[in-house]
Amino acid sequence: MKRIVFSFILLLLTLCAGAQLDRSVRPKPGPAPEIQIGDYELFTLDNGLKVIVVENHKIPKVTYHLSLDIDPVMEGEQAGYVSMAGNLLRAGTTSRSKAEIDEAIDFIGASLNTRATGISGSVLKKFSDNFLEIMNDVLLHPSFPEEEVNKLKKQHISAIQASKSDASSIASNINSVVTFGATHPYGEVLSETSIEKITRDLCQTYYQTYFKPNTAYLIMVGDITLKEAKRQAEQYFGSWQKGDVPSHSYDEPALNTRPRVVIGNRDGAVQSVIMVSYPLVFKPGNPDAIKASVMNSVLGGGSLSSRLNANLREDKAFTYGAYSSLNADKLTGSFNASAEVKGAATDTAMQEVLYEMKHMKDETVDPEMIEQVKNRMAGSFARSLERPETIADFALNIEKYGLPQDYYATYLKKLSQVTPADIQEMARKYLKPENANIIAVGDARELSKIMVRFSKDGTVEEFDYYGNPVKKSEIPADITANNVINSYIKAIGGRENLLKVKDIRMISGTVMQGMNIEIGISRKAPNKICVETKMGDQVLTKQVFDGVKGKVKSPMGDQELTGNELESMRIEATLNPELNLDKLGITTELTGAGDVNGKKVWKVKMTMPSGTSSTDAYDQDTGLKVQSVTQQGQMTVTTTYSDYREVEGVLYPFKSVQSLGSQVVEIETKSIEINTGIDDSVFE
Amino acid sequence: MKKLLFLLFVFCMSFPGRYAHAEEIDFKEFDLSNGLHVIVHEDHSVPIVVVSLMYHVGSKNENPERTGFAHFFEHLMFEGTKHIKRFEYDKIVENAGGTLNANTSNDRTYYYEILPSNQLELGLWLESERMLHARVDSLGIATQKGVVIEEKKQNYDNRPYGSLLPEILRRAFTKHPYQWATIGDADHIRAAKDEEFKEFYDSFYVPNNAVLILAGDVKFNEAKKLTEKYFGDIPSSEGEIYRPEVVEEVKYEEIRDTVYDNIQLPAVIQAYHIPAMGTDDFYAVEMLSQLLASGQSSRLYKSLVDEQQLALEVAAIPLPFEDPGLVITLALPNVGLDCRDLENAMDQEIENVQNNLIPQKEFQKLKNQVENQIVTQNATLANRASTLAENYTYFKDANRINTDLDRYLAVTREDLQRVANDYFRKNNRVVLYYLPQSSRNESSNE
Repeated sequence: MKRIVFSFILLLLTLCAGAQLDRSVRPKPGPAPEIQIGDYELFTLDNGLKVIVVENHKIPKVTYHLSLDIDPVMEGEQAGYVSMAGNLLRAGTTSRSKAEIDEAIDFIGASLNTRATGISGSVLKKFSDNFLEIMNDVLLHPSFPEEEVNKLKKQHISAIQASKSDASSIASNINSVVTFGATHPYGEVLSETSIEKITRDLCQTYYQTYFKPNTAYLIMVGDITLKEAKRQAEQYFGSWQKGDVPSHSYDEPALNTRPRVVIGNRDGAVQSVIMVSYPLVFKPGNPDAIKASVMNSVLGGGSLSSRLNANLREDKAFTYGAYSSLNADKLTGSFNASAEVKGAATDTAMQEVLYEMKHMKDETVDPEMIEQVKNRMAGSFARSLERPETIADFALNIEKYGLPQDYYATYLKKLSQVTPADIQEMARKYLKPENANIIAVGDARELSKIMVRFSKDGTVEEFDYYGNPVKKSEIPADITANNVINSYIKAIGGRENLLKVKDIRMISGTVMQGMNIEIGISRKAPNKICVETKMGDQVLTKQVFDGVKGKVKSPMGDQELTGNELESMRIEATLNPELNLDKLGITTELTGAGDVNGKKVWKVKMTMPSGTSSTDAYDQDTGLKVQSVTQQGQMTVTTTYSDYREVEGVLYPFKSVQSLGSQVVEIETKSIEINTGIDDSVFE
Repeated sequence: MKKLLFLLFVFCMSFPGRYAHAEEIDFKEFDLSNGLHVIVHEDHSVPIVVVSLMYHVGSKNENPERTGFAHFFEHLMFEGTKHIKRFEYDKIVENAGGTLNANTSNDRTYYYEILPSNQLELGLWLESERMLHARVDSLGIATQKGVVIEEKKQNYDNRPYGSLLPEILRRAFTKHPYQWATIGDADHIRAAKDEEFKEFYDSFYVPNNAVLILAGDVKFNEAKKLTEKYFGDIPSSEGEIYRPEVVEEVKYEEIRDTVYDNIQLPAVIQAYHIPAMGTDDFYAVEMLSQLLASGQSSRLYKSLVDEQQLALEVAAIPLPFEDPGLVITLALPNVGLDCRDLENAMDQEIENVQNNLIPQKEFQKLKNQVENQIVTQNATLANRASTLAENYTYFKDANRINTDLDRYLAVTREDLQRVANDYFRKNNRVVLYYLPQSSRNESSNE
C-alpha cells in the first residue's frame, strides 16, 4: 500500500514538473501562518517595582524602559509643569551636570530619554551596566537645576508663540477643550501664562510624588537573560524607596446631545483644518477593540483607498489626506476624523466626512474591501513583531490593562473573523456624527457663515488658540476701518506731529542662532528707505529704495527689485502710510473684533494694489497697533508690537516679535532719532 | 535647517545600510541553471518574508548618450507586466498585507517586497513577472518619461542643493561613468526610442545579472522548489553583460568651481577621491567621516558649529560605490560668513587629523558608536536582505554581513591618520561653493 501511494505521488510530481507553468494565474496564499508572540517573564522587587523581561538575542542590545502607571494629573494654572518635570530628569543630577550626562551617554553610543511617566533608553549589551548606572542616577538623584528650568520655560514659550498661527495647533487645542472639557486633564491647554507660573519646586514635587517603584513597571527587552535581569533590577532599582502615590478620578466627559459647531480663526488662512470629534468609553483591549479598529480602517485608516481618502482626496481633490482614528484610553477614549482642506471647500468637505460616517452605519461594506483592509492590518501587525519593543508593549498592556494573556496571540484569529455585519454594528455603536463636535479652523468670518448649516439651532461658537470662547462682540455701527485707523493715528501722536517727521533713523537689535544682529532702518519722506542688517561691522544685507528704484545688496551681490517686489517696497518705504491709504491704493476693511495677548482689538484687513494683504490688530482701548499678520507664500508671518515710547511727539513700538513657522525673532529697538537730515545718498 | 541637511543626506545616501551584525547570520546559497544566484536566510521568529531582487545594473552601466536609464527602469518596473494590469502591482502587494519599494544607485537596482510568509509564492510570481514580462511598451515608457522628467525637475533642478551630487560627480570624474548621477539627463530620456529601452531590459534584467534574496519565515527546500518553479525557465542572456572597466587616474590637482543655485544660504562642498567600498581603507574613511561629522561631539560640529560658530551644519558622507568613489564633506556657513573662512576652518580640522593621532578615548567612543550603529542597522530582515544582496553583488561574498564589524574594528588610530593623509589631500579633491543665484548677477555685472 505504502509503495502504491509513493509511486502515485511520484507520478503526480513528474506531471507537475512536466506541465508548463501558467503564469497568468496569481498564486493563492498558503494557510495563515501561526504567529508566535514572544513570551515575557514578570517578577516583582521588594519595593513593588514590577519587572517585565522580554528575551530576544538577535542583536546584542538591550532596551530599558521604565513606565509609571499613574492617573493623569490636572495641572491647572501651571499647565505644562508635568511634562517639564519629565524633561528635567535628564538635565542634571546631584553629581552630574547635563553636559556630563550627555557625554557619558554618547561615549557608549547609547540613548537616554526621560518624560513625565518614565525613562527609557537602549544600549549595547556590553555597556548595559554603564548605562544603568546613569539611568539610576537620573531616576534617584535629579537636581532640577534652576537654569535648566528657565531654559525649558523659554523653549516652551517660544514653541507656543510659534504654534499660535498654525491652524492645526489651534484646531488641536480647541478640540481638546470641547471634547474633554476644561475640568478634564485631557482638556488642558498650555499658555505662556501657565508656563511662566511653573517653578522648580513644582517640578520637583511632581517627581517626588509620582516616581515610586510600587506604581511602576521596568521593562527590559533584548539580549538579556532572566538571571541578568534580576541582578540588574535589584542592583540599580532595588534601593528605590516605595511610597504612597495619589490616585485621581475624573468624570467621563459628556457627549453632545446634538452636533456642536465650533470654529477657530487663523488670520489670512487659505486652507481650513476640519475635524469631527467626540469622547467615547473605549478602553484598551475591550471586546470591540479589534472589530472597531477594522471599521475605522475602512473609514479613514492611512490607505488611499479608505472611504475618506477615496472621497475627499481621490474623487474631489479637496485635500492631500483625510484620516480618522478611534483612540482607546483607560481614562477616556475618543473618535477623531480630520483633514486639511481648501478654504472654499470647507463646508462641502465637512459634509462629505459626515456623509461617510453615516454611510458606514447605513450600509454594509463590500466584503472584498474588508478582506483587503484585514490583510493590510494583519501584515502590519506581523511586521511590527520584528521589533522586540512591540512584544514589550504587548506585555505592558496585558499587565497594565488586565488583558487576557492570549490577547495578542489571538489577535490575527480575531481579526480574520471580523464580518461585514460586525463592521456595521461597530459603525452604529461608535460613529456618532449626530453627537459630534464639528470643528473648522480657518478664516473665521467665512466659517461663521458656511458652518452654520451643520448646527440644528443656528449656533456657531468661536474659540481662540487657548480654547477660550471668543465673545461675539458685534461691531458697533460707529466703528469702521477708517475710525480705527484714525484713532491709531491719534494715539501715536496725531497727523500734525507725524507730518513733522521728515526723516527717521532707528537702530534695533536681535539675536539669531546665538549671534547678535543689528538692524538699522533709515527713512525719509515721502518714500525713501534703507534697511541694513549687520553682524559686528559686517553688513549682511542692505535693502534700499530711493523713491523710484529698489535694490537688495548682500555680500553675494546686488539684486534690482522689479514687479511686485518693487511695488511692495514702494509701499513699505512710505513714511506714515496710514496717512495716505487712498493715494497708495490700499483698501481697508474692518474684519471684526478679537483678542491679542489678552487685549481686545479691532482687526483691519489692508489690501495692497498687488492683491496681497495684511490683517492688522489695533488695541480697542489705546488705539495702538499691536499685531500685523501677513502671508508670505505658504508661510504666515505674525508680528506683534509693544513697548510704545514717545520720541519727538510720536509713539513708536520699541519691541516687536516676529514669528514665521516655528521661528520666533524678538527685535528690540535701541534708539530712534528724528530729523537729523539724512543724506539722499543713503538710499541709493 | 535640519530638513535641509536631511535632503542632502538623502541625495548622497540613496542606499540602504550595508553594515554587519554582531551575531552570525545563517544563510544558504544556490544557483539556478540560468545563472540566477539565490540566497536564503531563514529566520522563523516572525511570519514575514522578504522577497528581493538586486540587478547588477546602475547608472555606470549606461550608454553615455543615454544616461538615466537604470533609474528609469526602477519606475517602469511598477507599470505592470504581461499578467499584471497597469498600476496593479502595488495594490496586489498591499492587499496581500505587504509593502514594497525599490531604489537605484550608480552600481545596482534593488526591488523588494515584505510579505506575510504565506504569500511567499505571490512574491516570487510578482518578481518573476517583472524579470520576464515587464511592460516595456510605448504607453508605459511615455508615462514614465513624464514622471521621471518631473521628478528630476522637483528633486534635482528646483530643490535647493538638489544638483549637488550631479555637479560634484561631473567634475570629479573625467573617464569613469560615475561622472553622471543616477537621475541622468532629461534630454537623453526624452530622446530615447522604445527599442532602446527594450534593449536595456533584455541586456540587464536577466537571471544571470541578478541575485534573489528570500529572508525570513521561509524553509530552504520550499524556497528552492518555488524559485525553480518561477525563475527556472527564464532564459539567461547570451554574451557579455556590459560592465565598464574604466579606471579614473589618481588626482594631483585640485578642481575648484562655483555653482549658482536657487538657494538662500551658500554651502562649501569638498569631495575627495577614495578607494572602492569594501576595501580596508574605505572602512577607515568611513570611521574618519564619523569622527569628523557624526553627532554633536564630532570634530567639525564641535569646532565649526559650537565653538567658532562659523557653520550652521556640517556633514561628511563617504559614497558607497563599487568602484573607487568619493567622500563628501560639506558645511553651510552662518549668515554673512565668507565661504573661504569656513573652508579654511574645515581644512584645519582635516590637518589636525593628518598631523596628530586621535586620542585613545575619542577613538574608543568612535568604535562604540560604530558598533552600536552596525548592530542596530541589521536588526531588521529588510536590512539584512539588502546587505546580503549587496555583498553578493559587489564582492560575490554574502558572508561579509558577518565579518563587516571586524573590518571596522580592525581599523587603527594610525589608519585614520594615514587615510587622512592619503586621500584628504587638497590636490585630490573637488571644491564647490554653492552660492545664491542672486550673486551671479553681481559677478556678471562687474
